Amino acid sequence: MSEKEQKPKKKSRREFLQDLGIIGVGSVLAGSAIFAGINYDKRKRPFDRSRVLKAENELLEIERADGSKVVIPKEQNFTYLQQRGRDGLEGKRFVMVIDLSKCRNARKCMNACNNAHHLSEDQHHMNVLKMQETKETPAYYMPKPCQHCDNPPCVAVCPVDATFKRQDGIVLIDNERCIGCRFCIAACPYSARIFNWAEPIHTLEEENMPYNVELNVPQKKGTVSKCLFSADRVREGKLPYCVSACPNGVYYFGDENEDAVTNGTTKETFRFKKLLEDNGGYTLMPELGTHPRVYYLPPKGKDYPFHDKDKEEAAEHLG
Amino acid sequence: MFRKNTNLKVTITLVFTVLVSLQAFSQNNWNVPADKKAKNSYIKFDATSAGQGEALYNKNCASCHGNPGKGNSMKTLNPIPPDLSSAKSQELTDGELFYILTTGRGVMPSFKSVLSEDERWKVISYLRSFNKGYTQVLSKFDPNKSKLVKLDLSYDAATNKVTVKAVANEKSGVVVLKDAEISLFATRYFGRLQIEKSIRPDATGLAVFNFPKDLPGDKKGTVELVVKVTDENYGEIELQKNLQIGVPTDKPSLRADRAIWNVVTKAPLWIIFLYSLGVLVFALVLAYLVFSLSKIWKSGNNNQK
Repeated sequence: MSEKEQKPKKKSRREFLQDLGIIGVGSVLAGSAIFAGINYDKRKRPFDRSRVLKAENELLEIERADGSKVVIPKEQNFTYLQQRGRDGLEGKRFVMVIDLSKCRNARKCMNACNNAHHLSEDQHHMNVLKMQETKETPAYYMPKPCQHCDNPPCVAVCPVDATFKRQDGIVLIDNERCIGCRFCIAACPYSARIFNWAEPIHTLEEENMPYNVELNVPQKKGTVSKCLFSADRVREGKLPYCVSACPNGVYYFGDENEDAVTNGTTKETFRFKKLLEDNGGYTLMPELGTHPRVYYLPPKGKDYPFHDKDKEEAAEHLG
Repeated sequence: MFRKNTNLKVTITLVFTVLVSLQAFSQNNWNVPADKKAKNSYIKFDATSAGQGEALYNKNCASCHGNPGKGNSMKTLNPIPPDLSSAKSQELTDGELFYILTTGRGVMPSFKSVLSEDERWKVISYLRSFNKGYTQVLSKFDPNKSKLVKLDLSYDAATNKVTVKAVANEKSGVVVLKDAEISLFATRYFGRLQIEKSIRPDATGLAVFNFPKDLPGDKKGTVELVVKVTDENYGEIELQKNLQIGVPTDKPSLRADRAIWNVVTKAPLWIIFLYSLGVLVFALVLAYLVFSLSKIWKSGNNNQK
C-alpha cells in the first residue's frame, strides 16, 4: 500500500516526459495558432474588408462582417439645391408684365441673362423679336421669355420628371435628370426652350460649384435650358436679371398674391390688376389654355420710331 | 463781394445762353424750375463720395451713358445719351443735374425710387470729378436736423383712412412741417407700393390718406406701412409700422390641384383610374392564358391515361 500511496507523489520519468511532451506540443500549437492568427489578419484580402466613405469625405476600411453595423442613410433622390429648387417659395405667385410700348430693342435684358446663365451668343432664354402682324399695322419689338404657364404642356410631356412647376408658379428644368429627349421643346407653343447641342460655356467660377437648379449653371451638353424667371434672384427678393438690366422701363415683375408689380428700371411699384386693366394687358395665345404668367401691354403710344434696319426682318413673313 | 457777384452773373448768363442754344439745336432743354436749379448738395464732393458715386454710376447709368470721357454711350437711343463728362453736361448746375436724375424724361428714367437723395448727390459728385474747373457750393442744410422730426401713424377703421402726423421738436417748440412732402407706401416683395399721391400736411401737421380696401396683406392681413417725409429743412425721414389693415391672403400652392403636369401623387383621377384598369386587364389576360394552358395540359394527361 505504501508503494501505491507514494506513486502519485513522485512521477516516474516516463510520466514526466509524457507531460513535457503534451505541454511542449500544446504551446507550439498555441503559438503557431496565434502567429497564424496575426498573419491571417495581415494577409486579409480586399474581399474580406469593406470600404466605407464617411460624411467627412474620409475613407474607412472595416471588416466585412461589421458591414451590418453601418447605418445606411435614407436614400435621397435630390441634393439640397435640387430639392429647394423644386419646392419654390411659399405663398408667392410670380408674374411678369412686359410693356411693348417702351421696348426699343436695347437688348440689355438679353446680355444680362446670357451672362447670368452662361449662355453662348446664339442661345437665348430671353429674346427680343421684331414683330409685324400685317402690312398695314406698325412693327414693334417684343421681348419673349418663357411664359411660365399655369398649365404647362412642356411639363406634362416630360417622361423623366426633369422639368416641373413649383408652388410659386416658376417652371424649371433639372439638368441632372434631363435625358435630352426634347419632347418639351416640341410641346412648348412659345418656342421658349433651347437645347445645348454643343458643349456650353464653362467659366472659371463654375469650378467646384454645385449645380444650382435655380440658376441652371453649370449648363450641361445634351440637356434642355430655358428662362428661369431668375429663381435664384427672386429667392433673395431681388428682381430678375433681365428686369433690372432694362434701361427703358419695359419690365414689371412681382407677386400676384400681393397684387403688385415693380418696374425694373424706375423701381416704382404698381397694382398688378390695375396696370393690366388700364393698359389692356393680354397674354400670348390664350386660346391654347396654357394660362401664361407673363402678361403683355400693347405697343400703344410709342414715342420712338421702329429702327429702319429692322423693318425688313419684321415684315419678312408678310411676302 | 462785388467781383464774386459779377462772376455769378457772368456764369448765369453763360449758362442761360448755353441752355438757349441747346434748346435751339437739339431741343434738349429740361426746363428746370428756378428753385430746383439753385439747389445744392449737403454732401461734400470729395474722393470718397466720388468713389461711392462711381459704383452707383456703373450700376445705374453706364449702360446708356457709357463711361465718362470714353464716348461709349448707347448710340441706338434717340436722343443719344450725352457723355456726362463733356463740357455741355458739366455746364449744368448741381441742382439741374439733381432734378434731371430725380424726375427723368422720355428715354431718361426717373431715379427717384431707385437712388436715395444721398446716392443721387454721390453720383453727381462722381461726375464733377471729371471737371477740374468746378468748385462746389455746399448747401446750408444740416442732415442732423432730421433727428428732431417725430412721425406718427394711425389708422381709422370706420373711415378706412391712414393719418400721418409730422412735427419737429425744435428748442423753440413744436414746429409743424407744413412744407414737407409726405408719402405713404405699402411694402411689397420687390418694392414699395405708393398709396395715393404724396401730399403736404395741413396746418396741424396732419396728412390723411385713403387706404384701399382691396390691398392684400399676409395671412392675417398685416401690411407693413412706410411713411416717407421729404422736407427742405429736415431732409428725408422714414417711419415703418405693421398694421392689420389688408385683406388676409392665403392662396394655395399652384401645385395644389390635380393636373396632368403635376407629380405622380397629384395626377388626375381619370389617369390613375385608366392606368390601374389597364394594369388589371393585362394581369387578368395573363392569368386567363395560364389557366387555359393548364387546362390543355390536364386534358392531355387525362387522354394518355
